[in-house]
Amino acid sequence: MDKFLVFTIAGLSSAAIYAIAASGLVVTYTTSGIFNFAHGAFGMLAAFGFWQVSVAWGVPTIPAVILIVFVAAPLFGAVVERVIMRGIEGSSDVVKIVVTVSLMVALLGLAQVIWPPDVSRPVPPFFEGRSVEFAGVRVQWSRLLALVVAVVVAGGLRLLFTRTRLGIAMRAVVDDRSLLQLNGGRPGRTAMLSWGLGAALAAISGVLYSTEQTLSAVTLTLLVVNTYAVAVVGRLRSLPGAFLGAVILGLAQSYVTGYINPDLTVGPIALGNLAAALPAIMLFTVLLIQPEARLRSHGAARLRPPQPVPSQRIAVFGGLALVLVLAALGSLIAPSDLVLVTKGAGFALITLSLVPLTGYAGQISLAQLTFTGIGAVAMAAWGANGSPLAVAASIALCAAVGAVIALPALRLSGIYLALATAAFALFCTAMIFNQQQIIPSGSVQVPPLSIGPFTADTDFKQLVLLAILFAGTGNLLVWLRRSAWGRRLTAMKDSPVACATLGLNLTSTKVGVFALSAAIAGAGGALAGRTFTADNFALPSSLPVTMLAVVGGIGSIAGAFMGGMLLGAIPIASTVFAANAIGVFRFVSIPVRDVLTFTPGLMGISLGREPDGAAPQIAVGYRAVGRSAAALAFTVGGVVALWLATRFGPLAKWSFAAALFVFVVAAVPLLPLILRPVLPEDTAPPPRRLACALWLALVTVAAAVFPWADRISSNGVRILLIIVFAALSARVAIGILGVAPEQLRRPIPPSPDLVGVDRPLVRADALEATRQMGLSEDDFEAEVEAIGLEHVTASRGASAVAGADR
Amino acid sequence: MNAPLLELRSICAGYGTIEVLHGVDLVVPPSSVVALLGPNGAGKTTTLSVACGLIQPTAGTVLVAGRNVAGVAPEVLARRGLVTIPEGRGIFPNLTVRENLQMATLAGTRLAAVEEVAYGRFPRLAERQTQVAGTLSGGEQQMLALARGLAVDPAVLLLDELSMGLAPLIVEELYGIVATIARSGTSILVVEQFARTVLGVADIAAIMVNGVIRSVGEPASIESELSSAYLGG
Repeated sequence: MDKFLVFTIAGLSSAAIYAIAASGLVVTYTTSGIFNFAHGAFGMLAAFGFWQVSVAWGVPTIPAVILIVFVAAPLFGAVVERVIMRGIEGSSDVVKIVVTVSLMVALLGLAQVIWPPDVSRPVPPFFEGRSVEFAGVRVQWSRLLALVVAVVVAGGLRLLFTRTRLGIAMRAVVDDRSLLQLNGGRPGRTAMLSWGLGAALAAISGVLYSTEQTLSAVTLTLLVVNTYAVAVVGRLRSLPGAFLGAVILGLAQSYVTGYINPDLTVGPIALGNLAAALPAIMLFTVLLIQPEARLRSHGAARLRPPQPVPSQRIAVFGGLALVLVLAALGSLIAPSDLVLVTKGAGFALITLSLVPLTGYAGQISLAQLTFTGIGAVAMAAWGANGSPLAVAASIALCAAVGAVIALPALRLSGIYLALATAAFALFCTAMIFNQQQIIPSGSVQVPPLSIGPFTADTDFKQLVLLAILFAGTGNLLVWLRRSAWGRRLTAMKDSPVACATLGLNLTSTKVGVFALSAAIAGAGGALAGRTFTADNFALPSSLPVTMLAVVGGIGSIAGAFMGGMLLGAIPIASTVFAANAIGVFRFVSIPVRDVLTFTPGLMGISLGREPDGAAPQIAVGYRAVGRSAAALAFTVGGVVALWLATRFGPLAKWSFAAALFVFVVAAVPLLPLILRPVLPEDTAPPPRRLACALWLALVTVAAAVFPWADRISSNGVRILLIIVFAALSARVAIGILGVAPEQLRRPIPPSPDLVGVDRPLVRADALEATRQMGLSEDDFEAEVEAIGLEHVTASRGASAVAGADR
Repeated sequence: MNAPLLELRSICAGYGTIEVLHGVDLVVPPSSVVALLGPNGAGKTTTLSVACGLIQPTAGTVLVAGRNVAGVAPEVLARRGLVTIPEGRGIFPNLTVRENLQMATLAGTRLAAVEEVAYGRFPRLAERQTQVAGTLSGGEQQMLALARGLAVDPAVLLLDELSMGLAPLIVEELYGIVATIARSGTSILVVEQFARTVLGVADIAAIMVNGVIRSVGEPASIESELSSAYLGG
């Protein structure tokens, strides 16, 4: 009985922390419509900040708590809202998820740079040593404190949201933002307030948690998964529901820790990690018993302009070119670098798996590497000799698992799929990848594929195999996109309601595309032919895959390849820069490698500045690079040439960095403009391509030749100068060219449906309509004569359209 | 006649690359009801959105009481006595009736005053104080929306499609209230697609077609032009 009471109290106290964290999540979600995946990271920062202030700087507890919870955290939340979240208002679910996930990854990277994880940072509990006797059990005051704070938070929030005008306005913003403005409310201020409140609640939970557990940035950040498993009980919107969920999860975890023998096994799976897997189990259970979401007809999200689908011919030739280029590259470079390029190609295949799911169907998964892991583990178990049959079986397994995971979440909405995949990633890490029986000593060797006499047993063969796989899968996807099924996916992304009224089964279509995506990601594992560690499959590794895929341009195969290569490039860059550090300020020296750990996060957040991913000129230019084969070839060629020159030639590392930066910032975005053929309808004066190309070559070479390391002693000044030099080069290049990359954006022609609304119909409209319907003008005239409408066409264009319609 | 309370001068506005209003001129004199009529897609709602600040015009000026309010946020205009009741029930469906009225106080009126006017005029709202507004009937929702216009006692009231989706009897009742508000001295701009309901209340009527005002005049003289404007004669 005592044991039961002990674990009940422990469970309730962690339930209290979950409840506080979940209420913060619910508050920001209901009042801003953005689900904050970085909520755990906010709490994590607060916990570390609290340690810094109270332990490292020795500030007394109460001022430290006030500083962190009531000053720093709300300010931070408000700034995040103002700077990042305001920009993504009204954009699609995918953008909202990617931006907050990027924020989470960036904060995690930042925290690991500021507070390196190799030092232990104990935080003494509040009221240390004081306890009360309760039914024969000693209870620490700090445990009770958590409960009291949770009750105060619950009461305070209830009062705020039902009794104060400010709280009611926060709820009103969600209902109708512009109506609140018409009432005289200020939605911007309300949103900043709700993010500040959410961050403060995250900070309370983080500070309370820091006194119970050892501080770990990753663990604290991933607590967000427990938090939203709790919040899902209230459908992410109800505070009482979230509190109920918190009690269930807190008690369940406590009892599992207390009563289940960690050595107990089910098949090959030891139950020691069950407590870590509980949030995922709870999330899926709750999702299963939720009723199916109603389709909503309003609020069609702003969509990006449609991505052009390449023709099958271009896809085939592009694939061939890719294989040849990678093979040529692979035969040139040193073995140690070949490993990295091969890894990059493997990542490209995994990013490709997001093209059908996110790019075509508008759904999002945060756990692609989990499927890679399942593929890899299955292949290691079944295909020791590398047989293609085992590969097929592994891929089929991934597809099946994907379908099972997606089914409960897809009945609801996109946000739930993202939640479910993240929880699934944690579940698999606890119950599969961290199991000694399944992955002994934490690493798994995937046997290389072997078909008849061919075995992909060298890195070079593996690279060619991956290139062929990427090209083949890319072609398959282009074919699928152009098929009836592909049109169905696009239609579903545009308007689920319209699709449902046409009799399309939304759920089975979504499950199908998710299974396809899981299968491709699984193939990336089953055919990797390398050694993975369990960490490779964990959630923090998966998130950058999704982020960079979206940043690279998820609608296109080339974008996926760029995303994958970016992922591959980060480890390459960190080996090149291993010994360098950015000494920005005299007393902070950040190793370049650490900067690279949070760059993917920063890239993702940059999406939030312009949710359609179009406006920053550079981004427009980069995206255009993906569309133009010649520009892509030049980009890759330029980077490779620079790199080879460093590897084998006389270039110093700093010169390489400078030249690469100048090339990527100044030259690459302009390449599509320089290489674009002159179109007959261009009316502007032709851009001065040759002069601009010469200028760009000149500045790149100048950056490569200049002895940066010898002339400038401080790292910080050096980096500043390189950035200034690159920016100036880019500005001058645009000046020489006379055209800004912005003009690459194609104007969207007004829809013919709106003609007549914004201007009267004229005869030209009728002719345009007939042309679009594929009739020639002669057909049109003939038809008009046949139905005797000449007099009408002469007088009124509108009827002519009606005539042509028949 | 005094300076008009609300005046639009050669307004051009639109959504993205599509221009909807091509030079709209409209004047709302003090203490009068102006009805803006026109077929579907003529740009009536866009005109109203420009007037209340939700959409910034690409050309032209908006004058409120003779002052140019270009670039002024809608919440600021709302606090200066310009009440807008947008199309399709200007209420917050997930707040209770009382909380909705509380939002009306953001423009500066006290809650007690708002409640007194609202419940006094619409006793049915008093019965449903704690009910979530989204569960009210269509007519009751529109009453709640109109209660704001009544209670805040604005200088200018902008009404969009008051009749949308409501039974004729209720529409008649609502326009009776609009007439009361007008008698109190408020200038009102009413947008309607179904013109006959509003012509009885209006002092001036304007017909809008294809993003321009086609004609302005006495309701009686405008009535004859209506069918040709709607049917595109």
